[in-house]
Amino acid sequence: MNINLKIWRQPSDKKDGKLHDYRLENVDPNISFLEMLDILNNKLVKEKKDPVAFDHDCREGICGSCGFMINGRPHGPQKATTVCQLHMRSFNDEDDILLEPFRAKSFGVIKDLSVDRKSFDRIISASGFVSVDTGKAEEANYIPIQKSNADEAFLSAACIGCGACVAACKNSSAMLFTSAKVSHLALLPQGEVEQADRVNKMVATMDAEGFGACTNTGACSAECPKEISQTNIARLNREFVKAQLGSFIKKK
Amino acid sequence: MAITGLLLSFFMAFHLFGNLFLFVSEAAFNGYVEKLHKLGFLIRIAEFFLLAFVLSHAYSGILLWWKNRKAKKNIDSYSKENTSSSARYAAFTGSFIFIFLVTHWATFWYKFNFDMQGMSYYEVVLGNEVGFANPFFSVFYIVAIALLGYHLKHGFSSAGQTLGIVGTEYEKLYNNVSIIFWFWIPLGFISIPLWFGFIIRLI
Repeated sequence: MNINLKIWRQPSDKKDGKLHDYRLENVDPNISFLEMLDILNNKLVKEKKDPVAFDHDCREGICGSCGFMINGRPHGPQKATTVCQLHMRSFNDEDDILLEPFRAKSFGVIKDLSVDRKSFDRIISASGFVSVDTGKAEEANYIPIQKSNADEAFLSAACIGCGACVAACKNSSAMLFTSAKVSHLALLPQGEVEQADRVNKMVATMDAEGFGACTNTGACSAECPKEISQTNIARLNREFVKAQLGSFIKKK
Repeated sequence: MAITGLLLSFFMAFHLFGNLFLFVSEAAFNGYVEKLHKLGFLIRIAEFFLLAFVLSHAYSGILLWWKNRKAKKNIDSYSKENTSSSARYAAFTGSFIFIFLVTHWATFWYKFNFDMQGMSYYEVVLGNEVGFANPFFSVFYIVAIALLGYHLKHGFSSAGQTLGIVGTEYEKLYNNVSIIFWFWIPLGFISIPLWFGFIIRLI
């Protein structure tokens, strides 16, 4: 198959970027999207041109490194997959494919399709962890946990922090990401004890990083490669209200 | 935003209760308005709070819009296919509703309170000057209330998220009550200009 690519080229966050056209011929429909970009980059290197920068690591959909906008949708047209799990057979011969980085004030462009998602790391390092002594693995197994809670926590923990939710959102809000991180700890007894402090700190960091506010348009869940649900956002709000009331009463 | 929105929705239900007296009889409607007027000072206090809710709802909406505009690097780059359109247009429908409210206050509210010119309340509502005998006003009311319903469709689902009702055992009950507010109550309001403005003249 032959494809026509339009790729956003930007040397750094400080400089302006623009779209460049590339044409690839005889692409095997069964290669992955990232392999197609590898082929393009090989070609560019041979031609002594600057290759396209894009993030990738595990290439099996669990690390959260890859991700950019394909035809206006994060991770492309296929549901519940990351870019690396997308194959060229999802496109047609002679298709025009538009590639842009994830766009948000809080995600500075490093180069081309690669963006700086350290703001996510800072949200997690604010309090997205358990600091109490939880013992060894077998001790965790002695604590009975309601099956529905364990399942919900597992679904929330599936978040790989790729940033598709922020890119999908018209407000660049990081609510889905933060709520997934808050949820998977809040639902388990080990995380529950520090919950109030955690949600306060994580929400404060999220706001300080310049992410927008959630207006419940639901695009994040629809585009999330791990199908993190909107229920997490409701849970974050619930926990946040509880924590704020709690800290208000404590002050008095 | 969620709390002021819900409070205004409760008022809306109460407002519809009064309006439906129009269908009972002229005397019933006039009697109802008269009773409200007798409350005097209490009504003024209620009006003050309602205005405060409207303004604070609008203010938080504008703050939200401004914050979100700043957060987005390229305002056109987001996933358009999968957003709920009632949410995407909430700011637009809200602004339109504000224009509608100002018109509503400048006409019915002002007349009812200060400028009756010897007419009964019923005659003002169905009259030609600002009432539903004027097809311009009827159409304007129908469009505005329909947009209000659309605004509330987003409003209720959004408030369910903000107040953390989604994902609890009350979610289903809440969703069913929401439908009353974003569909049936606006439909009740629309029935008035539709009936007195158009249908009654055709039959």
